[in-house]
Order: sequence, then structure tokens, then C-alpha cells
Amino acid sequence: MRGATILKATEDKTRPLNKHTLMAFVGEAGDTVQFAEYISANIALYSMRNSTQLPPYEVSSFVRTTLAKALRSKNPYTVNLLLGGFDTRTEKPELYWIDYLASSAPVPYAAHGYAQYYCLSILDKHHHPDIDLEKGLELLRMCTDELKRRLPFDFKGVIVKVVDKEGIREVEWEEGKQMYAP
Amino acid sequence: MDALVAQYSQPSHSAPDTILEDELALSTKIAPSLSHNFELPPVGSHSAWLRAMTDDHSNPSCPIKIAHGTTTLAFRFKGGIIVATDSRATAGDWIASQTVKKVIEINSCLLGTMAGGAADCQYWLAYLGMECRLHELRHKRRISVAAASKILANLLYSYKGMGLSMGTMCAGVTPTEGPALYYIDNDGTRLAGNLFCVGSGQTHAYGVLDAEYKYEMEEEEALELGKRSILAATHRDAFSGGFINLYHIKEEGWVKHGFMDTNPIFWKTKLEKGEFSNVTSKLD
Amino acid sequence: MSRRYDSRTTIFSPEGRLYQVEYALEAISHAGTALGILATDGIVLAAERKVTSKLLEQDTSAEKLYILNDNMICAVAGMTADANILINFARTNAQKYLLTYNADIPCEQLVRRVCDLKQGYTQHGGLRPFGVSFIYAGYDPQRQFQLYQSNPSGNYGGWKATSVGANNASAQSLLKQDYNEECSLKEACELAVKVLSKTMDSTKLSSEKIEFATVGRTKSGTVYHHLWTAEEIDALLREHGLAKKEGEGVEESGRPGEAV
Repeated sequence: MRGATILKATEDKTRPLNKHTLMAFVGEAGDTVQFAEYISANIALYSMRNSTQLPPYEVSSFVRTTLAKALRSKNPYTVNLLLGGFDTRTEKPELYWIDYLASSAPVPYAAHGYAQYYCLSILDKHHHPDIDLEKGLELLRMCTDELKRRLPFDFKGVIVKVVDKEGIREVEWEEGKQMYAP
Repeated sequence: MDALVAQYSQPSHSAPDTILEDELALSTKIAPSLSHNFELPPVGSHSAWLRAMTDDHSNPSCPIKIAHGTTTLAFRFKGGIIVATDSRATAGDWIASQTVKKVIEINSCLLGTMAGGAADCQYWLAYLGMECRLHELRHKRRISVAAASKILANLLYSYKGMGLSMGTMCAGVTPTEGPALYYIDNDGTRLAGNLFCVGSGQTHAYGVLDAEYKYEMEEEEALELGKRSILAATHRDAFSGGFINLYHIKEEGWVKHGFMDTNPIFWKTKLEKGEFSNVTSKLD
Repeated sequence: MSRRYDSRTTIFSPEGRLYQVEYALEAISHAGTALGILATDGIVLAAERKVTSKLLEQDTSAEKLYILNDNMICAVAGMTADANILINFARTNAQKYLLTYNADIPCEQLVRRVCDLKQGYTQHGGLRPFGVSFIYAGYDPQRQFQLYQSNPSGNYGGWKATSVGANNASAQSLLKQDYNEECSLKEACELAVKVLSKTMDSTKLSSEKIEFATVGRTKSGTVYHHLWTAEEIDALLREHGLAKKEGEGVEESGRPGEAV
């Protein structure tokens, strides 16, 4: 957004960092992509130097440290992040909530911005640790429906990606119908 | 306009404007004690002055800390109306009370909910109660929900911009209207609707409520959903908490379904249903 | 002939040799033996200390074995003073990694960082390379227990069992003979003292003459490393009948500053 104009509605706000880690970002225009690409380049460098993939927890720590260093410099990044990864050693998926003040927390579900206020209560109720991908996508549908219904500004939809032991892939996402408050 | 208001100590639209004055005279005759004679401070802009005195966010040492922050909800369904609230009152960072009754029982068939400034809500809903009783005495029948909500809306509109802080719902049942639900706030907005959540925790409550709300719900289901929606808000909103106050309005009038501590309900919900999976130490 | 090339680490001799590196290796071959054995459930490092004296404070002067990180220890053969520089470098780097990634540095990465530094001194940075060989023992979740060895040239490699220092050729052949890939840590400890007892000059061993350390995992899965106390070492020697008898004195030998 520049001023009050939507420049592009289908920008992909995610970057794959390595085979099993995906980072989603929102924040200050310019900062977001700069930061994401800096991180993705460094994680790629690590993979090349050590011929091994940095596991999600270590990636999240690296991102947090980088953000914390920038925060205390002259030009901090104003970027909020969600980091999803699949740890091939433990065979478990991991999710990290990271904000621009460089706090990082492992969580079962997460959101940034206004979406938090509408979605977290839905996830509080309907999320269980042992749900499968299908149920997960159902929960996502509940969330996007609520955003369509209640956000005071026009909600332009989502890009959906899945991270699992096969790696990262985008999944088909039908926009669905217009939602109205009951 | 504010200056005029100060001069006459009257709500803005009752300033001595020749045409309007007659109209107002008419209305004040019907309701002689409209309490429109508050002393107002001798300042230029009342809302700006009030904001300066009360805005805890921009000025943490403001002299007046208004009790704020709430989650209230009400929705219509085939079995009537569910009204539910939390019970926390906060003044700035301070939890002033955990046992506030935010549902005002105006009469046996009409309920009002409180969100916003606690004092404003208590005072004006009591005032609304008085007006409703006077209506009954004058007309020998209970006031309609539409009319009751309109009294409040007009009153709030008359004080618009002067710093009142209220977000209320009037829910009730009358033989002519059936179950009726209105939302009224200090902007003067008045909306009829099926489902409203009001207060700092509104979005959290909307999240849970919207996802499973159906007009065709059974009573049991509706009560549970109302309760669960308030619980969701008390969990995520720092300014909501305490007890869940739950009412059901049926054809015969309202029934109270308890004033329940959120704490045991939260743990019961978590442990028995496996919800709130983020409350865990297993992730680190 | 070699004089022209001696005083520079950066210059090859016409035969394609780096004399300073070779001299460093020579110095190490006189140092006290150190060996490492990889077991299924851990690693043992054992080393012969050259400077022994009744007056030496036992627990404040570890000569051969050092902790590098929570998941890694090492044995030194060569100049202790040079080793101190490298150990400090390794420890600092392990902490830097921990600070950035909030996880222990993978073993090979730490070995490589130390070896990159060592290699640097064979080209530039000073007049001589570091006169130290290391045996590293560590654990990381990716590759489990690992044993590495590095030398002054900056070369390193992973081993199942290895040794450095004096008599390392005979130690190596003893290890080759008796090493069993399926051995437990306890069996590895036994092998370690047996090899040391044969390669060391003195006939009877004692806690004054050797240092001993193990890396392993607790029942709950956390990595531990343990530098053995004199009592623990003596108990092990007694168990395998290698301890010296009561009353036998300590032969004093070695001078501080000599390669150990």
C-alpha cells in the first residue's frame, strides 16, 4: 500500500528459507522483503557451508538474533514474522511467532495484526494438538471467513502454504463466498 | 457550539434556536425530569477537555481514570435472546473490580448491558429504567424495546461529543415485537440486529460466536455458545475477566443462568475438551 | 638447503614441503600420548601427562584434556601454550554459535573453525604454525557421537579410534587390533587404559600420570562430559590390574614448557 492505493493484491508475503522452513512476514514497506531476503540468503549460505539444513528452532533463533541486533542499530527492521518449519530429526512441525521487537515464542497457532483479535479466540476453541492437515485447513477457513465478515477494511484473501516432511508447497485455496455479519 | 452549550448548560440541540425550542418543549413536557441540568465546566471544548483529563493511554498520570474495558454480547435465536457479559472493571492498568454486574435488569422483560464508562452506563441505564417505569405508568403497558432503546439513543445523541462513553445493548421481549435486540452507543448509533458483541473483548467474542452461530440453535447450545464466547474474550483480552453473567430472554421474560467464575470454567474447558492448546509448557 | 625455507611458514621448499609444519608435527611426536575411542554410547579420551610431581596441584592443572563446549571436549598433544590460544578460540566460537542459533555448535563445524585458524598460520599470520594436535570428542543431534583429530597443518578427519603424540604408531596398531565397533563406553575405557599402559614408558600407571575423560548421554538423553578425578582413575586402573602398588614413588620427569 502506498497512500490509500492497493498496488498489488496477490503479492506472496512468504519466503522459503530452506527445504523445511518457511517464513511469512508483514510490516513496513521495503523492510519486509529486504529482511526476508537477508535471512533467506544467510540460511542458504549456512546450508552450503555445512552441507546440512539448519533446523527450524535454530533458524528461529537466528532470525530473532538478527532482528534484535537490527533493533539496537540506527535502522531497525519493522517486520513481524511467522516461521513454520518441520524438524526432520524429531519429525515434528514447529511454529514460531516473532514480532518486530524481536520476541520469539513457539506456539501451536499464531497471527499478527488485527487478525489476532478475530482469529485467536477461534483457534483457542477449535485447535487441538493432534489435528490433521484437512482439519487445519478447515480452521483456516473459519478464520478467513471471520476476517471477511468482520474486518472493517476489505480483506483481499490469502495465499496458503503447507510445510511438512515433504517440504514446502502451496495449496489450492478457493476464495469462497462473501460473508455477512448475521 | 460547545461554547453555547457551556453558556446554557443544556445539551447542544436544545440551545435556544427558535424552531427547535418548541419541539423540545413538547418532548420535555412528556418527560419533565429529563435531568438535563448538569453543571458543565467552563471550558471551550468539553470533549477535548475530558479527553485530556481521562486519557490514560496518552497521559498515564491523568487525574480521572474512567473504569473501562469489557466484553458483552447478545444474540437472537429461535428460543429468544442470550445476553452474556464478563464482570471486570478496570481503571487504567488497575483492576478495580472483578464482580461488576454488567447486565442491568430494567424490568422483568428488558435487559441492558454495560460497556464503556462504568459510571456513565450505571447512571444512564438507571435513568432509562426510570423512563421505562414512567412509560408503564402513563400508558398502562410495558414499553417496547424499540422505544426504550430510542430513549437512550436520543439521550446519548443529545450529549454527543461531550465525552460520554457507552456501548450498550437493549434486549427484551414484548408481545408486539417478540424478542428484540438493539445496539446503542455514545455516537448516537442505534441498530437493530441479531448478534452484537461490545467492548474491548468484542473481537474475540465475535470470533467464537460467528463461527458457530445459527438462528436455529437449541436453548442449551445457545447458552453454552454465549458462555464460551465470553470465556474466549476473558482469555485473550486483559480488560475482561472475572465472572460470566448469563441471561436468557424468553417469551415470558428473562431468566438468569448464573454468575460463574471464569477460572474453573477455563480449566474445565481446557482439561476436558482439550481447548486452549496454547496454554502449555510442552512447546519450549 | 632447508635453511632458506625454514624461517618462513609461507614458503614451500623445492621438494614441496613446508618445513615449519613438519617441525611442528615432529615436536608433537615427542609429546605425551593422547587417544580417543568411539563407543556406541559415548566416547573416551585418555592422555599421558608428562609433567608429574608430588608438588603439582592435581585438579587445577589439567595438562591434556579440556572442555570446549557443553557438547565437546578435547585432548591436546603438543605445546600447551599454543593449545591455550586455540582452545580459547574454540570456546569463544562455540559461545558465538550458541548466541546466534541458541543451540550447541555441531561438532564438525567447531573442528573446522579451529582448523581454519590453524591453516591460516601455515600461510600467514606469524612465523610458525601452532604446534598442537587435537583429538576432539563430542555429540550433536545430527551425527550423534563423533571423534575427530586435527594437526598443525589444519587438516582434520573423523575417526573411530585414534591417537596422537609419542608412540602413536604403536598405540594406533593396538587400537586397530582390539577395537570393536559395537563396544560400550565401559569397554572403551578398558581398552584406553590397556593401550596407554603398553605405550607409556613406565610399567605401572597411576592417576598422576594420566588424564581421563568421557562424553556420554544421561538416561534422560542430555549430553554430559566428565573429566575424571584422581580417585575415579585409580579405581579404573585397579579394576584392570594396572595400578601401581602402594609405596611405589612417583618418578619425576619433564619440564614445563616442553611439548607434552
